[in-house]
Amino acid sequence: MDKNNKIPFDEDNYTHNINKSNERKLDRRGFMKTMVGAAGLFAVSTLPWGSIAATELMGLREKKYPKKEIIDVKKLNIGDAFEFAYPTDHDSALLVRLGENEYKAYQNACTHLRCPVFWEQSKSELVCPCHHGFFDVKTGSPTAGPPRRPLPEITIQVEAGKIVATGVKRYET
Amino acid sequence: MKRSYRGVILLCVVLFLNIIFTQKAIHQYYFENYTATVIYAVLNLVLFPIALFIYHKEKNV
Ligand code: FES
Repeated sequence: MDKNNKIPFDEDNYTHNINKSNERKLDRRGFMKTMVGAAGLFAVSTLPWGSIAATELMGLREKKYPKKEIIDVKKLNIGDAFEFAYPTDHDSALLVRLGENEYKAYQNACTHLRCPVFWEQSKSELVCPCHHGFFDVKTGSPTAGPPRRPLPEITIQVEAGKIVATGVKRYET
Repeated sequence: MKRSYRGVILLCVVLFLNIIFTQKAIHQYYFENYTATVIYAVLNLVLFPIALFIYHKEKNV
């Protein structure tokens, strides 16, 4: 056996090779430095939110939404749901026909962590499978599970036998 | 040597506020309260110089 492959001497502790005096402790000043760094990180991380909110405040307050045909009234039975995209192609949404002339539509990204929300017809509930979030179809507000905010409601009109989306409601807080 | 832990405690408070403001900013953003979002983001920004200030004051005490 060569020299590097054996225990150099009899010992009962293996800390003899630790030479840096501060290796095993985080001192007060180091801790404070870390905290300052973390404060900086938090500051930077909220910047994008702040700036998006600021641009949203300037001008774009009353958003204009395009009208969009969703589906033929005849093609959607009472109690059924239909998935579509509104206001842009990347915002998925869900239309539910609750009665002869009763429709409800919501953006179906769960307000917890944005999983798609589904229509559970047998229980008349909107369900998010990810962490078992439930929403009321009538209002869009969460009834159980982790979500805290209501689903954004989409305003609906029936025009010439077609269901048309006209806008997204603002939160009333 | 006896050390003052005031700086450590103050910085912990700063970080705690950081967490709260970040959380608030994001929630208010989703609630479309954009003014509140901007306020919280600015508060978070202001905390950083405060943290630096605390550090410089307390590092040698
Ligand atoms: S994403 Fe819907 S409950 Fe978590």
